[in-house]
Amino acid sequence: MVATSHDVMPDIELYQPTDEANALALARELGTNGWLLSGGQDTYGWLKDRAKRPGAMIELTRIDAWKGIRETADGIEIGAVTTLTEIAENPLLLSRYGLLAEAAGKVASPQIRNVGTLGGNLCQDTRCWYYRRGLDCYRAGGNLCYADSPEALNREHALFGASRCVAVSPSDTAPALVALDATMVISSASGQRTVDAEDFFIGPAQDILHMTVLRPGEILTAVRIPAAWANAEYYFEKVADRNVWDFALVNIAAAMKVSGGAIEEARMVCGAVECVPRRLRSVESAVRGMPRSEQTAEQVAALATEGARPLNYNHFKVPLMQNLVKRAVRG
Amino acid sequence: MDGEIVRYKRDVWGEEVILGVSWDLLWVVATAILILLAAHAIIMAVLANRKMDKPSSEGRRVNRHHVVDRAFHWIMAVSVLVLIITGTAPILGWRIAWLNIHWIAGLVLTFVVIFHIIRAFFWQDFKSMLLGPRDFGEPFDSAKKPGKYSFEQKGMHWAMTVVVLAVIVTGVVLFLQIDTPFWDRTNSMPEDQLGLMFLLHGLSTLALIALTVTHIYFALRPEKLFYTRSMITGWISEDEMAANHDTSKWSPKEAE
Amino acid sequence: MAYMHIGKDFVPQDAPGKVTGRIKYAEDYARDGMVYARLLSSPIPHARVLDIDASEAMAMDGVFGILTADDVYPDGEPDGTGLKVLTNEPTLIGEPILAVAAVDEKTAEDALERISVTFERLPFVLDPLDSLQEGGPDAYTGGNTYIFRQGFAQVKWTADQVAGFRSGTEPSAEAQQDVSFGDLGQAFSESAFVYESPFSTAGYPHMSMEPRSAFAYWENGKCFLHGSSQSMTPVAEGMAAIVGCPVEDFVFINEATGGGFGQKARPNSIPSMAIPAKFSQKINRPVMMRISREEETFIGGARQGFQGWIKVGFRQDGTMAALDMYIVSDNGGKGGGGDAYSAADAIVVLYQPSAMRFRGTAVGTNTGHRGAQRGPGQNQIAAIIAPLIDKAAEELGIDRLEIRKINAHETGDGNARQAPATSAYMPEALEQASALFNLPERLGRSRARSGSKITGIGIGQGYHDAGRSGMDGIVRLMPDGRLQIHSGVGNLGTYSYAATSRAAAEVLKMPWERCDVIHGRSDRHLPMTSPQDGSNSIFTNTRTNFGAAMDLLDKMKEIAAMDLGGSVEDYDIADERVYQTADDSVGMTFAQVAQRGIELGGKYSGQAEVPEGISDFTRLSVERLAGSALMGIYNDPRHEGNVPGLTVSMIEIELDTETGKYEILDMCSIADCGTVVHPQGLANQLRGGAVWGIGLAGYERHLYDPQNGLPASTGYWQSKIPTLLDVPDNMGTGWVDLPDPENPVGARGIGEPAMGSVSAALVSAISDALDGHFFGAAPITADMIINHLAGTSENAKALAQNNFRG
Repeated sequence: MVATSHDVMPDIELYQPTDEANALALARELGTNGWLLSGGQDTYGWLKDRAKRPGAMIELTRIDAWKGIRETADGIEIGAVTTLTEIAENPLLLSRYGLLAEAAGKVASPQIRNVGTLGGNLCQDTRCWYYRRGLDCYRAGGNLCYADSPEALNREHALFGASRCVAVSPSDTAPALVALDATMVISSASGQRTVDAEDFFIGPAQDILHMTVLRPGEILTAVRIPAAWANAEYYFEKVADRNVWDFALVNIAAAMKVSGGAIEEARMVCGAVECVPRRLRSVESAVRGMPRSEQTAEQVAALATEGARPLNYNHFKVPLMQNLVKRAVRG
Repeated sequence: MDGEIVRYKRDVWGEEVILGVSWDLLWVVATAILILLAAHAIIMAVLANRKMDKPSSEGRRVNRHHVVDRAFHWIMAVSVLVLIITGTAPILGWRIAWLNIHWIAGLVLTFVVIFHIIRAFFWQDFKSMLLGPRDFGEPFDSAKKPGKYSFEQKGMHWAMTVVVLAVIVTGVVLFLQIDTPFWDRTNSMPEDQLGLMFLLHGLSTLALIALTVTHIYFALRPEKLFYTRSMITGWISEDEMAANHDTSKWSPKEAE
Repeated sequence: MAYMHIGKDFVPQDAPGKVTGRIKYAEDYARDGMVYARLLSSPIPHARVLDIDASEAMAMDGVFGILTADDVYPDGEPDGTGLKVLTNEPTLIGEPILAVAAVDEKTAEDALERISVTFERLPFVLDPLDSLQEGGPDAYTGGNTYIFRQGFAQVKWTADQVAGFRSGTEPSAEAQQDVSFGDLGQAFSESAFVYESPFSTAGYPHMSMEPRSAFAYWENGKCFLHGSSQSMTPVAEGMAAIVGCPVEDFVFINEATGGGFGQKARPNSIPSMAIPAKFSQKINRPVMMRISREEETFIGGARQGFQGWIKVGFRQDGTMAALDMYIVSDNGGKGGGGDAYSAADAIVVLYQPSAMRFRGTAVGTNTGHRGAQRGPGQNQIAAIIAPLIDKAAEELGIDRLEIRKINAHETGDGNARQAPATSAYMPEALEQASALFNLPERLGRSRARSGSKITGIGIGQGYHDAGRSGMDGIVRLMPDGRLQIHSGVGNLGTYSYAATSRAAAEVLKMPWERCDVIHGRSDRHLPMTSPQDGSNSIFTNTRTNFGAAMDLLDKMKEIAAMDLGGSVEDYDIADERVYQTADDSVGMTFAQVAQRGIELGGKYSGQAEVPEGISDFTRLSVERLAGSALMGIYNDPRHEGNVPGLTVSMIEIELDTETGKYEILDMCSIADCGTVVHPQGLANQLRGGAVWGIGLAGYERHLYDPQNGLPASTGYWQSKIPTLLDVPDNMGTGWVDLPDPENPVGARGIGEPAMGSVSAALVSAISDALDGHFFGAAPITADMIINHLAGTSENAKALAQNNFRG
């Protein structure tokens, strides 16, 4: 019998490793039965509503090695367990990578940012309300998508890249990191690998059950941002129904290297329009060599939404996305 | 493995409905078929000493497969393999964008199968493939030789026919449940019926995998390899025909 | 008039507890041996329970039992719509079917998963017009509407009638309710500007911060129920009946409430609180039932949504000549309220057309149950009518403030359907708001563009009738000279239980620190009063407390005259003494008078001559208090006329045409609510109402998946209640502060209009920023603004309810 409301934490093992090796060993040992717990803002809803039923949680917040913001030879490294508040307020990030600091500062609410972490914000599951309700949809291992029926309520869903599932990436920091050409550091008991931020996220066509490339036993432990994009011209904007405690209807993160009044190189990424942060490659190449101006903005905006396939209630995302591109380009 | 054949899920209002086949069965089927074929290979190896000499592929040749049928066979073979690979990829955790390839291969398979059925009824010797009661004695009597197709070949064909038709019919139903360039899905199929379709598609897929592996195994066996060659070139030698077929039942034309 | 208490700020006695977090809500209580109940609620929008198999759950360690509808209603469930304690015929997802009790919540939750309920699935409907259409599904078994005293009925329109309405034309089907006055045809023919349009407003959940958690136990034949209500004595009396306990043995405990919002006012809208009481009776253990946020969405109810058509006519001089309105209202899964007529009434009071016709049909849907939410009807329509008033002003070349003044409601105004106003000062409120907001200057920058941003200026007006009468009051002068004011008023967060008590302190010139407001538990012997809904409390209960204090004062003077000589007229009071006006050294302290009153007994101590009209509930309280103090007891007579609560709000926004978002730069609200009793309380009402009004106009939603009937907007995030950053930092407040003659301290209520005028002003501002575009909808969300500006649209059904409007 399915009750429609739960809100009661079930029995669950809790591991609180204090060093990396222990955490990675636990992650390997527990495999899919283990649940990585950081700030818990995505976790507790799932568990209390019993829509996900792992046997154990591995709390990552006691591992100091995975926290903090450090300068490296080629940029900066941020531990994945660093809180979003720390990122939003960090002087180093504010001075060189303000794009990420701004994005982190727009996540949810101050209370959530105080406990929520960068890793959690990047790895959080989609907010499709059908999926979150605990329905056995495609993403939950089922065999249909409730969000894409002829009358489904899919105002917050995808314009692009839908394959059976039409859910979108909910993260505000993910587009910023893709725009900054960051690298994700993934650790496991058998070693470490790195993946470009852009390739870290995967869509339903590749894997309908997961939103990142992380395999059981793997943990996102750090994010590296290359010096190449430090102090570029940035633009971040999040449009949500509410100004705090909400997910983006569309967000945009842009990094541009401008010289002599012309854009030399740009990386532009929109969130909440696809299951992964969407690189706007056609816009990026169209603005190359152009000035950051109203005219350029008007010229390139429509490129952003080419190929968009709106659902029942998200047609507004098309002009909204174009408008955000305009704002990013003209600055 | 929890030993279940069917997986269940909750429907939108919380009632239990079929979700599909338990993919643990994939390993059961794979293991079972590999054991069976390995056993067959060992027995054949033991019996090999007593076997007659291999018939010669030299000499006069007779037509066995028309070029159209050979083309059909290989298109079907490729599409089935693509379907199996793309269909099992997500189950095996292989992250490829499999679905579009899967349904395109499925459409190819559907069209060639329809083509084959029409051709078989009107332009081919349909009777040569019919499986009668007398055929069942064939494996137990070394004196009995078949016409164009042996008992095993007919058996494989008809088993394949049933399984492929099941895969196609259920596959087409499932195809209607996804967005394609031709239509938008409606999600109007009741969840229990949808689950049943997934179950039948899964079960027939498992059977198809078993049959395909078996078919490939026999096609690669030394004593059957000339059949595989004939599926490529179209001909077998008269010697091969005489050793394996009853010419009173099958008298093909000489190959050019 | 110079008052000692009225119009002065004070610290209500529960405020420190709320600030420190020490005050107890229902969920905070505990009792030895208590167990925890969890609810199994319907996962299906409309169903019939065929079988419940709880054997596996009952076999679990720590499980004490289940409670089903069969336990609650051994003779069968009551017929008709309306919430039930538990049900076997759920008509909405989340309706409680059964409860299970266990040693802790987790065990109870685990037990729920092992209970198997077999349902028969029945047809369901989510949009009233879909149900009205011939052949459309009905929300209830037996029809799509319920007619009082007649039972379930089916109302059906032809497909053409439904399609015509959806396409925006005047509905042609006969309405359930058809009310009119004046000559409508004549009034429209006199009109220089006529505008007609379809419109829709969203129903949306109440979502009070404190859910309807309840805790109950039985001890020595008495039932103690801790609950969460916005009223006290009316709920105590009604809950006793629902629980099936004699009212004298029933104790309702509810000292503080985390928000009521309309649907916690009356017992029949919170019957789920009877679950732990019934359960406790069955298993003989104290039962705590915590209600989760999501459960609160389902059992907490929602505002009625409107699918409407409106036609208004204005004469060249700006007066509203005619109003013609047709509303199909969404009654939800358990029957609804009277929002639609109240909407028409609000327009009639605020703008006073010469002729009016209202037609209304209420239809059930298998969505959240509907009932009164702050300004039910008045506040939905406020957001629709405001931009139409602006349109008329623009078309007729009249100033936007002026057209509102031309039509303004004033003292004595009434019509064939509405009694004359006891007092009303709308022109003054408009002027005061205009001055505070510097309206003329702001109107000068209306529609000004700066980059992608446009300035919009909005004016809104709110109305709700705001006062009742006929209730009871009890005050006691204790032997130690303290004044105990017994209040049956609920503590819904407005502090009106305390503010209204100050009328008694005022009469007796008692320092506030020498007064105790006795409230919060029905066994504290409280007088019956009207529920804390309909913005009535301040009017109703200052009357009763004033009256009870006057009765006490008379008795005090009688005793003084009796003991010290002279007549009653020779005495006055001051500084807690009754003294002779001729020689103030001759007198008695309040303590002495109280002691004498007890000695004298009879009418002085509540043992005789109790006013005849008091309710049974009050009489029981008086009986229990009799002999304990010198008592003032009062049964309030009825008042004459309509008591209006009126507000004016003004808003300036900057709307970003590229994002569909707007920032409220500044706003103010002015109240016309008679004499102000508690300025801080009133300012808070105005600010709280503003947040809520912003929610109605711009945010809050009620969504159900059309295919499967699943609720999408459960909880605070999905309901889109405005957050701190969605409302302005500064909300100016003010009040007219002119006394109402029907209230002894001059007060009228204000709770509900405080919200409506802000909804109206915000929609008016959005419309202004978009060149007067009339969305005909509330809320107006960012996507709607983007679509309007970009010329895009969604695949939305026109006038859809419980859905997006695109």
